[in-house]
Amino acid sequence: MNKNLVSPSLKRGLTFGIVMIIFVLIDLDVMVATMLSKLFGANVIRGSLPDVRFMVLFLILFGMFVGWSTSSDDAKPTTKLFQALVAGLTLGVVLGLFDLILNQLIVTGTDVRKYLAALAPESIRLFLFDQGAISPLLHLGLFTVASLLGSLMKILLKSESASRFFKGVKSGYQGLKAKAQANTPNWVKKYGKFLLFLLIGLLAFFLPRIWGSYNNYVVGLVGLYVILGIGLNIIVGLSGQLMLGFAAFFAMGAYSVALLNAPLPHGIMLGFWPSLLIGILMAVVAAVLLGLPVMGMRGDYLAIVTLGFGEIIRILLKSDLLTSFTGGPRGIQDIRGPTLFGQPFSSDIDYTYIILVVMVLSIIIYKRLERSRTGRAWLAVKEDTKVAQATGVNIMTNKLLALCLGAAFAGLAGGIFAARNQFTGPNDHQLMVSMNILSILIVGGVNSIPGIILGAFTLKGLPEILREIENYRLLVFGGLLVVMMISRPEGLWPATRPNIEKDEGNKLKEDGAPGEGGLND
Amino acid sequence: MTDPIIQVKNVSKIFGGLTAVNQVDIEVPEKYIYSIIGPNGAGKTTLFNCISGFYFPEKGEILFYGDPIQGLSTNLVAWLGISRTYQNIRLFSNLTAVENILIGLHPNLKTNWVDAIIHTKRFRKEEGGSVKEALRLLDYVGLKGYGDFLAKNLPYGLQRRLEIGRALANQPKLLLLDEPTAGMNMNETAEATHFIKRLRDELGITIILIEHDMKVVMGISDRISVLDYGTKIAEGNAAEIQANPRVIEAYLGPGGAALSEKYKKQRLSYAKSN
Repeated sequence: MNKNLVSPSLKRGLTFGIVMIIFVLIDLDVMVATMLSKLFGANVIRGSLPDVRFMVLFLILFGMFVGWSTSSDDAKPTTKLFQALVAGLTLGVVLGLFDLILNQLIVTGTDVRKYLAALAPESIRLFLFDQGAISPLLHLGLFTVASLLGSLMKILLKSESASRFFKGVKSGYQGLKAKAQANTPNWVKKYGKFLLFLLIGLLAFFLPRIWGSYNNYVVGLVGLYVILGIGLNIIVGLSGQLMLGFAAFFAMGAYSVALLNAPLPHGIMLGFWPSLLIGILMAVVAAVLLGLPVMGMRGDYLAIVTLGFGEIIRILLKSDLLTSFTGGPRGIQDIRGPTLFGQPFSSDIDYTYIILVVMVLSIIIYKRLERSRTGRAWLAVKEDTKVAQATGVNIMTNKLLALCLGAAFAGLAGGIFAARNQFTGPNDHQLMVSMNILSILIVGGVNSIPGIILGAFTLKGLPEILREIENYRLLVFGGLLVVMMISRPEGLWPATRPNIEKDEGNKLKEDGAPGEGGLND
Repeated sequence: MTDPIIQVKNVSKIFGGLTAVNQVDIEVPEKYIYSIIGPNGAGKTTLFNCISGFYFPEKGEILFYGDPIQGLSTNLVAWLGISRTYQNIRLFSNLTAVENILIGLHPNLKTNWVDAIIHTKRFRKEEGGSVKEALRLLDYVGLKGYGDFLAKNLPYGLQRRLEIGRALANQPKLLLLDEPTAGMNMNETAEATHFIKRLRDELGITIILIEHDMKVVMGISDRISVLDYGTKIAEGNAAEIQANPRVIEAYLGPGGAALSEKYKKQRLSYAKSN
């Protein structure tokens, strides 16, 4: 057979073999198997291991993925199968050798947890299917068959008849859609959007009452991060200033509400709403103080300065110097919640309402800013600062404005955050918070509201729901970012530019007015 | 000669040891098409950058309607009514063509971010008006139907037009065009030349033009200046410039004037013999 055919498949098998070995070394295989077993409804108690069937299932899926990805798109079916066979065998051999070592560890009773904290003998046994010496052969067979299966799946799904089938389904769906559109009565067209919003509003009103406090907590967290994401998007996405210390503004809002509305250390007890307003103002003041000296900086330099700013704020909050003023490392406890018309308004349901309302308001404000003279000026500054200025945009004021408005959103989110947790401390405002928000933008899609919501859910909501991956959060995080950068560099839901000319044309058509004749016609 | 719209008086711009523009005087009367020509590196674009505020000239004065504008930041210069285009096209490439022109309208709009958030009546009125104006300009520069294309996806010739459209959105009194026909073929050049003339005739804009294509320069210029090594070596109308031996020398090197005479005679005799 052709050498060009064998060597890439060999390499691929080798690479995935090493990937799998790393998975085993950090015990990720057991975690995935646990998640799979949960997916099938098995009740796994925390700390115990899943059934061996799910480990088998995981390895089969892994092998199938290797087979699928090794088969070249444009090759003949036999070639594809051959490639998958080579990759699967290589993978099997690599892991078989690795299994021999693992088996030896089990036999001699060596505990490697001293060096690899995650690798318990029980998990090794699970990985070896508890079969001891014959497990290398089992793995070899399993991976080869799985790889061939994956390749076969690719052949079937990507074959011409399959693609014809998918095309048929698609055109059928489009036909149905067009028919449905033609048959929709006028009142649906007119009020459809309104009805949809009404439905979403009703859901948002009733769901928090039904689904329990844990879900409220998760939705609230996601909502807060959406608000933060919108704020940072104004700074990074619209005006193009790379800001890495965004958590500082978050801290400003949180600490303002905390200091003004908790019994200790000052006992001012101003009430939630006024202190939230002051929190927003404080964040804006901080933005001006930071912004004025660094306005001339761009790119990396700005990123470093803002990073430093974020850390300075956090360390100041933590320092002994200010303990009497900010509560020091212990933070501030017993922050009072908001009231509404004299009634306490601080159950988990109420917070969900507050966050959802603020989130919707933030989205509306963001949308209106983006489609305005100011928003366009920001975009121009981001695209080409010098030309934007020569086109008549005042760079200083516009950049500073973006920074202030972004900071205001952060202050708002921070205030709500502190009151909801009834506590805030320096650890709530670590560098990781800034990085998380930036990642939301990158993963979701810069300048795209659906993208930010999706990103916030992916990065903040999913980890809360999938508590198991807690230990692997950073790994998954990094892996996700790398995969995103390669496969969807513009985010899960990339932004699109508005079609102003087309919309204007449609508007004219609806009004029945003739189009304006240009000088060029 | 009507009153000059812009006067460049004794302007010098020095980079380190290099005098890029050396004591240049230029006076452009209103509604003129004024060309600046010269070999590569003669300081033409540097002069443009001085006028539009990118550079601060070390010596001299630049007067716009009699008021000094040297040292003003570029956004103020634009606000006063001086627009420009760039030698290598500099559009906001990830925005659509309409958005590019809308940004050009920026100095003429008055609503601020508070209006935008509240959606005041003033904001809606101005926004609707600016979209109409942008589409009108889009049509005027011949980009109708391309409005929703990203600027970077437009063909080269249309990018040049869009850049002019963006400059026009500012409603400029003075338009600085830096090599508007660079990289165009003969037809496109002819079209662009015609278009530049229309800008002056229809909109009454004064135009200063940097151009290498002599056909364009000689065809539409009311007056021409020649720069060489940062110094103005000649000024006059097309015929005067063509006959000026110093200009010919600047382009063809020392002895160029004699050489050019020789070739002219040769061509004449060739034409006669046929």
